[in-house]
Amino acid sequence: MLKKEQLEELLTLCMRSEADFAEIFEEDTNKESISMLNQVVEGVDRSQSSGVGIRLYKGVQSVYGYTDIEDMDSLKNVIADLVDALGPKDEGVKVQLKEEKIEDKHPIRIDPLASPLQEKVDLLMEGSQAAYEASEKVEKVSASLASVHQKVQISNSNGRLVQDDRHRVRMAISSYVSDGKTLQSGACSPGGSMGLEFFETTSPSSIGKEATRIALVLSQAKPCPSGKMPVIIDNGFGGVIFHEACGHSLEATAVAKNQSVFANKLGEQIANEKVTAIDDGTIPNAWGSQNIDDEGNPQQRRVLIDHGILKSYMIDTLNGRRMGMASSGSSRRQSYKYEPTSRMSNTYIAPGTDTLEDMLKGIERGLYAKKMGGGSVNPQTGEFNFAVQEGYMIENGKITDPVKGASLIGTGQEILMNIDMVGDNLERAQGMCGSISGSIPTDVGQPRLRVKEITVGGTANE
Amino acid sequence: MNKQAWIEKAKELGLESFEIYQSLSASKEMTWYEHAMDTFVTSKILGTSLRGIVDGNVAMIALEQVDDSKMDSVLKQLVDQAKTIQTPEKVVFATPKPLEEKAVSSRQWVQPSMQQVEKTMDKIEEKCLAYDPRIVQVGYLGYEEGKGAREITNSLGLHLEDEDQVQYLVCSIVALENGVYKDATKVEVVENFDTFDIDAFVKEVCQEALDQLGARSIPSTTCPIILEKDAMSSLFGAFAGLFSGDLIAKGISPIAKDLGKKIFSEQVSVIDDPRDPNALSIANFDDEGVLTKRKVLVDHGVFEQALYDIKSAIKMNTESTGNGFKSGYASPVSVQPMNLSIVPGEKDLDGLMEQMQNGLVITDLMGLHAGIHFVSTQFSLQASGYRVKDGKRSEPVTLITIAGTFLDLMNHVVAIGNDMDWTYKQVVCPSILFEKCAVSGE
Repeated sequence: MLKKEQLEELLTLCMRSEADFAEIFEEDTNKESISMLNQVVEGVDRSQSSGVGIRLYKGVQSVYGYTDIEDMDSLKNVIADLVDALGPKDEGVKVQLKEEKIEDKHPIRIDPLASPLQEKVDLLMEGSQAAYEASEKVEKVSASLASVHQKVQISNSNGRLVQDDRHRVRMAISSYVSDGKTLQSGACSPGGSMGLEFFETTSPSSIGKEATRIALVLSQAKPCPSGKMPVIIDNGFGGVIFHEACGHSLEATAVAKNQSVFANKLGEQIANEKVTAIDDGTIPNAWGSQNIDDEGNPQQRRVLIDHGILKSYMIDTLNGRRMGMASSGSSRRQSYKYEPTSRMSNTYIAPGTDTLEDMLKGIERGLYAKKMGGGSVNPQTGEFNFAVQEGYMIENGKITDPVKGASLIGTGQEILMNIDMVGDNLERAQGMCGSISGSIPTDVGQPRLRVKEITVGGTANE
Repeated sequence: MNKQAWIEKAKELGLESFEIYQSLSASKEMTWYEHAMDTFVTSKILGTSLRGIVDGNVAMIALEQVDDSKMDSVLKQLVDQAKTIQTPEKVVFATPKPLEEKAVSSRQWVQPSMQQVEKTMDKIEEKCLAYDPRIVQVGYLGYEEGKGAREITNSLGLHLEDEDQVQYLVCSIVALENGVYKDATKVEVVENFDTFDIDAFVKEVCQEALDQLGARSIPSTTCPIILEKDAMSSLFGAFAGLFSGDLIAKGISPIAKDLGKKIFSEQVSVIDDPRDPNALSIANFDDEGVLTKRKVLVDHGVFEQALYDIKSAIKMNTESTGNGFKSGYASPVSVQPMNLSIVPGEKDLDGLMEQMQNGLVITDLMGLHAGIHFVSTQFSLQASGYRVKDGKRSEPVTLITIAGTFLDLMNHVVAIGNDMDWTYKQVVCPSILFEKCAVSGE
């Protein structure tokens, strides 16, 4: 990491331009990935990535340069390109930095990258074996353990100098079962902003067993029927529905340029009154948490929708300028190779009071989506899709046969209004979210909820 | 980096073979919004990846800061990693082989000045907004150019290097009618800005957005469909792993046991050719230093050849096909296709519609990262396109899904189009008419 005096020199150079703001993001990241197939270690890979991203604003224009060649001359060359793009000036403010100490709200106990390889291999073996032993039908198990340690230092022309230290671990297990003819797979991949102590509360064997359980259900599943029907979406990763259908459309990236169906709707009812949605980057040791965002602003808890009323967006500084609003501490990026922008952190729908019995009552034909896969959205049109990983039919108020190959599609505007029941079993689950500033860890979450009508895409038409 | 010193130290510490892969990339990117530069990005990255073998097992360390003084600790770490791996296959790195005929790209790049790029983007924005009153915004307009150089050196005497270049424009258009927004995005590789046809580019992207206005869902049905070339390329790309020798060796590829058997309709032939001069990128060697070659993977429906890197080839008792590529210098080598295509047929898209008479043309598929289940080849994907009635294009369709099993779909090919083009993709297909597919809607 660069010294305070070096940063002051570079930032002062940046400000000898038409820029009204300059920022330097430094990163030093170490990653390790261990992979296993059928209880045999297949790969152990490590990477070290460190570099610098320099950003200048002039009003709502931004210029950004990044490099991993970290000597002062190379960095000055990057700055010269950026200054040239905005327009140079003979004079500018002399930047003086004041170091801020931040409290670490996500401390870890067992540093995964510093732990012996064998300890991590043992954890993977435990998960892998549990997946195998869960059924005689299991033919293959693949497992991986990823550990990441990212150190960042952020400084800017307003005098801010702040550092953060971020750790995370994640174990992913896929179990493959055979019905004699074809394979079916099930996967489970929890993680947290934690060290190896994560596996003291989420045991590797529970991850392996869950992967096999899903694969077994799928191997017995029938093709899913098509058409509009009521859908009950269970808790945890079911929250991907909010993430895709609405979350991305509430990011300033889409809102600032009027490219979201929810632009200019603050204070309006955009969801059923049972829906309260929150994006909270402060949850201790959660997968999508940080002490500070990637512009150095403290992470926050943001109430996006309160009982159906749109209360706030997720805003980064640059888009905030366009919107005439302050940053909400939502600026994130995969690494210094990306300019940051507004992103989600841990996003979830708050718990309600409806029970599963109430939800099932009156449904003649519907879908119970127990586990969701991923999805995507076009914020401009609001059209979204997401995959059902584990689903069951609902017939005459009862959950019946498992079904496979289903996806749910619709528009964000419609589905928010169509959520008519919200349960009390809030749970969060982990995902990687991809957008213009790269792939970042985010939690999705919700209690069980019911959508009174949504298009289910299946294959059983005849 | 003193490569020779690293190689010698690696041998001394007990690494049987040692490989240094380096890539240097530089890029420039500019976006344009409301007649002014919106963002400008410049970058320069030097990445190094080290691979070493102990007892036939390969481990990797990727570094952005290579410090010769840390040689000892980095290589000891690499030895430690390799010793943890327990696979029975004994991997050996590539040895130098003569390149008989060097493939050369047909691309003639002329690098534009940033002023020329600004002028072009301003014209595009202006022309898009003037194209039709229903075009309300040029939501994204950007230019990116990138240059890359890679170098592979190993302790077996191999040393290879090459360079790559690309420059392209991206434009997203927003159209509005009756309170409903539709958008369209076009990516265009531009070899020379002096000969770039702005009007044709503007027409294509604007028309695509306008054509979707008024689109509605349709009732669920099972009907003939044409997957238009871009949608077909996306779907085929999502199942490109079928041919991965690694997934075949692991028994995860659904066609793992089907070599020599019919897997697709006999109209379908599939080729992988990293040396195709018409593709956007070409490579004479892969990221392990193995020379590349043209391969017929599927010949008239019969699965003839899989793709291999060194490790999967050893597992399957065969030779690498030169398909060991990295997704970036820091990624491990994996089996990847390069310039994978379905061999085009005779008819153009209009001819396919005429043959289909009544059905759907799918122009866009979404959610490919989530809506496919690789091992069973099931897919259920959000789609949009238009209806075809009596062989002619009819009203636009949106908010539907198409679903089925990819292997089953590929066995119900009615006709293959002739409209394949390489564009910017590494997996490309012509439009294909299928007998039937399940469509879900209202």
